[in-house]
Amino acid sequence: MGVPEIEDAKVLMIFGYNGADSHPIVARRILRAKQKGAKIICVDPRVTETARVSHIHMQLKGGSNMALVNAMAHVILEEGLCDRDFIARHTIGFEELESFLNPYTAEYGEKISHVPADTIREAARLYAKGEPSMILYGMGVCQFSQAVDVVKGLANLALMTGNFGKPGCGIGPVRGQNNVQGACDMGALPNSYPGYQNVNVPEIREKFEKAWGVPLSDKIGIPMTHVPDRVLKEKDPEKQIHAYYVFGEDPAQSDPDLAEVREALDKVDFLVVQDIFMNKTATYADVILPATSWGEHGGVYTCCDRGFQRFRKFIEPEGDLKDDWEIISLISTAMGYPMHYENTEEIWDEVIDLCPSFTGATYEKLEKYNGIQWPCRSKDMEDKGTPYLHKDGKFAHPDGKGRFFCADWRPPKELENDKYPMVLSTVREVGHYSSRTMTGNCRTLRNLEDEPGWAQMNMEDCEKLGVKEGELVKVLSKRGYCMTRCLPTERVGEGTLFMTYQWWIGACNNLTTSFLDPVSNTPEYKYCACRVEKIEDQDWAEKHIRDEYEEIRSQMGIQSAKKEGEGR
Amino acid sequence: MKQVQTTCVYCGAGCQILMNVDEETNKIIDAEPADGRTNQGRLCLKGHYGWDFLNDPQILTKRLRKPMIRKGGKGSPLEEVEWDEAIAFTARRLTEIKDTYGPDSILGTGSARGAGNEANYIMQKFMRACVGTNNVDHCARI
Repeated sequence: MGVPEIEDAKVLMIFGYNGADSHPIVARRILRAKQKGAKIICVDPRVTETARVSHIHMQLKGGSNMALVNAMAHVILEEGLCDRDFIARHTIGFEELESFLNPYTAEYGEKISHVPADTIREAARLYAKGEPSMILYGMGVCQFSQAVDVVKGLANLALMTGNFGKPGCGIGPVRGQNNVQGACDMGALPNSYPGYQNVNVPEIREKFEKAWGVPLSDKIGIPMTHVPDRVLKEKDPEKQIHAYYVFGEDPAQSDPDLAEVREALDKVDFLVVQDIFMNKTATYADVILPATSWGEHGGVYTCCDRGFQRFRKFIEPEGDLKDDWEIISLISTAMGYPMHYENTEEIWDEVIDLCPSFTGATYEKLEKYNGIQWPCRSKDMEDKGTPYLHKDGKFAHPDGKGRFFCADWRPPKELENDKYPMVLSTVREVGHYSSRTMTGNCRTLRNLEDEPGWAQMNMEDCEKLGVKEGELVKVLSKRGYCMTRCLPTERVGEGTLFMTYQWWIGACNNLTTSFLDPVSNTPEYKYCACRVEKIEDQDWAEKHIRDEYEEIRSQMGIQSAKKEGEGR
Repeated sequence: MKQVQTTCVYCGAGCQILMNVDEETNKIIDAEPADGRTNQGRLCLKGHYGWDFLNDPQILTKRLRKPMIRKGGKGSPLEEVEWDEAIAFTARRLTEIKDTYGPDSILGTGSARGAGNEANYIMQKFMRACVGTNNVDHCARI
């Protein structure tokens, strides 16, 4: 569905998605929906802003998503709230789901998720009866070692209640970064060419071989979350990674288990960093290639609802910079595979001609219509794209039918224990973006929050530990530690800890685990065992934070770091 | 002064922004919301104030302005060089590694941030057609 349709849902289930912090302008639609009479179900271990405006808040225990989703499906089935007609005409596999769901009662759901069985029943009824009902989900679904199963479980709920293929329904992943949808669309993925065309389908590979004029590999590539293992642990020389070309990312800040990431970046034979700012990863680079930034170049982004939109150059770059595509083309040419383009439109024309779902999204139409939601298959000016998918219950499988999917709940990989009795989940900060090299260099935004960030903790836990708001604490896991400030709050449950991931000193990714979902290869950022320690000498800790901050800033090329630090 | 409509660089909402720019000094004056499909004339705080990094105020990190390489290998300092040298160095090292360990020993990333779709397309084409591997991925998971 598209972002504007959120307003038209009659029931909105917001699952592991904190719009107010991640996408304030999308979150506004949730409020608009409520103003227009929609009922809101919020599924989140924290009392988020969405939870505060919700009719039902299921404050589940982290890591229990699958159990809760299966229990909701069980209620819908048991109480006869399925859309039997939709199921019969548009789906496959319902009988298997029916028998699979047998043991997953609301009481079972309560046992695993700690949400009262009656609340699960109430939420399932509300969702099933909405006309229409929409699900929005975020990283609270995706960043677990059981993630893809849960997405399919949410799709089960929508399929069994006929909530696909019409306006205002469906299930929507609200994608975090500005162009994460676009990077996927363009085939920056180990298994697919641009336009979600798989590398291991011979006819598709032949098409790209013909277009690019070279034979292509049919072997699915490895995801970047496997890099540390492939550098540090892989014994088979055929499978080792020796060169890593990092473009517009900062894995040394944003990837899990940073000690391991740092070791891998240190060890890899050759590291190329192409970026706009000095960052943590760049400090390990063998080559740094400076690129123009947003504002200094143009092109197309894809927003979270498949919307292609133009972004435009509005200032002249200063310094010896080149556009990203030009840098890569020059390296390719120097390596014997010439690539020459005059401008981004020439590249875009090549993209859309290779991707049937994008073919109609020409620059001309993107300008004229202020954007296009793909699929847009025809260059005819009348094809203005597709606001919602699966129209009339026609799904992407060759037979056009949606598939039900059965998955048992699996617990997270690293559970609380005597030594590390609390659970850490990483979250986002409203004023900062990703690893913060951009927002941390904006004066207004930097003034809102700065190092070392906060650990949101339950008041009772703070009291037991004897720590107050603003006090510096040490947070530790099996893999490392960091220092941060304590933020006592009623919004989080006992035994849980929430930290944002962009701080250098308060780097919660020193703590997180690199356990991955087996399908998406997404790390379990939302669950690892940790503990919090009080720091007796707060003066020492404050000084340590200041010194450390100055030291890292001077590594990042800030000349005045020392001087400015002394004055603060 | 000129006004340019663009798409915000933060988060997946895809808000449309009008950037007011003083062309003479090449500086941004301010940002105001445009009537985009998803934002309908609204912006959040990052949309309103998130462009200041383009002024390179050097609060947190320094903007990269010139290619740099470690001429003396690992452990040696990064030195500023001309583009020709940086490109030749990168191409030579990648070719050596490809020749020694095979194309699957190299992994390149796309970028889910400011670079844009065209640059991501070029990156995956480079990895697949020039290097010869499907080892291309990006930060979709954070």
